[in-house]
Amino acid sequence: MSRVIEVPDVLDHKGFEVLIRALNQVTQEEAARVLFNAKHVRWTSPYGLIGLLAAGRVAYERTGFAPSIEAPDNREVRGYWERMDFWHVAPDVYDLEPVPARVHGASDALLEITPIRSHHDVHAVVEKVRERAATILLNKLHYARPSVIQFSVLLSEVCQNIIEHAEADGWVCAQTYNYRERLGRDVVQLAVMDVGIGFEGSLSAEHSRRHGERWSAGMALERALLHGESRHRDPGRGQGLQAIRRQVDRWHGELGIRSGDAMIASPTQEWGDLAHMRTGLENFPGAQILVVMPAHVENE
Amino acid sequence: METPGISSSMPDIAVASLYQRNLVTRHTGRAVRLSIEGLVSELGATSLTVLDFGDVAVIDFSCADEVVAKLVLRAVDEVSAESEHFFVFKGVAQHHVDPMDSALKRRGLAAAAEGPEGEPFLIGDIEPVASRLWLAVCEAGHACLDDLAPALGMEQGDCGRLLDRMCARRLLRRDGQAYHSLFYTFAEAERAGNGRGTTGPDAPDGAPPSARE
Repeated sequence: MSRVIEVPDVLDHKGFEVLIRALNQVTQEEAARVLFNAKHVRWTSPYGLIGLLAAGRVAYERTGFAPSIEAPDNREVRGYWERMDFWHVAPDVYDLEPVPARVHGASDALLEITPIRSHHDVHAVVEKVRERAATILLNKLHYARPSVIQFSVLLSEVCQNIIEHAEADGWVCAQTYNYRERLGRDVVQLAVMDVGIGFEGSLSAEHSRRHGERWSAGMALERALLHGESRHRDPGRGQGLQAIRRQVDRWHGELGIRSGDAMIASPTQEWGDLAHMRTGLENFPGAQILVVMPAHVENE
Repeated sequence: METPGISSSMPDIAVASLYQRNLVTRHTGRAVRLSIEGLVSELGATSLTVLDFGDVAVIDFSCADEVVAKLVLRAVDEVSAESEHFFVFKGVAQHHVDPMDSALKRRGLAAAAEGPEGEPFLIGDIEPVASRLWLAVCEAGHACLDDLAPALGMEQGDCGRLLDRMCARRLLRRDGQAYHSLFYTFAEAERAGNGRGTTGPDAPDGAPPSARE
């Protein structure tokens, strides 16, 4: 008999918190198969979608069984998951039969869910998004032409965070949608996740002794994002996240990074709902990165 | 301006094409740098290598650190009376500048660059006064302290220290009393037949450098 985790009906970064709270409760109990019930999902963000893969992977690692998943009833949501290649990637995590990758025509997906396992995947992702990034960033977000290359650089750096620091595989995806309720504009949301050692684990050997008992996931995030520190003593390391932060700020967007039981956001925006720092969240392994890039408006 | 003769310390020169449209990831950067270091090791004790960014569409911060900053760092750190290695980055467009500049600044380094239209500029950690002086040497090709200090309204001592410091940072080359721009040095070395022709970090077989690492 499986233990059931109800996937929140709105599966965004807030829904992800609900999801992992349920996951932590279920996997604390006796080891058993887990079923993720996504039948009632009526909206999913890129962050929520790869969050479902991350949660599934953790369930697998904790129980020793590949979890099952119930597909959403909602036709639009189902279509979106298909367009984002969820069912193609999900058999790596869930107890599912392999599904071939779709042949993608015109799509609102800037980047379908792509596993990141090595630097070859980063090269492939950068190559893959070039044309779509030009179309979406220039025509939908009205960004200046250099933004297409700047987006490729950003994408490369966030994906490398997995390879260089996570000691585990991860996923990336990006999509454009209208952020109607809060902003009334199109945005691109980019999400990158892994379930590896996280920021606290990555920076611990180099920095924990200096900070003693105050050392935590929140402090590790702060040292990495705000001060450019990394697990390496080499001064050339640690610049990637700071560069991402500067670029997102130039685009008047938001950058949030969750790791362990904390989430840091910088920059944040009035229209957004990311707090500068949240601690005491549900513990979850690895790092989960969220970038929101809003459409440019003239007076900004 | 005085025109000193070309000394026997004229460097060997090489042009390295990068054969990578996307210079992304630290892994790729490391492979590219190792190939270039291999190329430099085959040149003489004094060398000037031009890295052509003309075909590079994207360079990220990690790759800029591995390729640009670490090559310059090694050239600056390897202080020896017998050998001097210089690098010039050519075809550097605006979209390359931010990662290269950031990578160099984090290590307190600077590098000589040339834009797509051939305009010389410095990237990295450099004071405005040093940049003006460097541009004056580039414009002249080569020049002596006696000419440069008054032309820029500087004290001779300050100007000399700044010029020598730029030589130590491998942004200029000193030959006797004259300070040579790296672009002038390259042209002169080419005329003298010191060139190794256009070469690459490795065979342009289309495989990522990682595959050849």
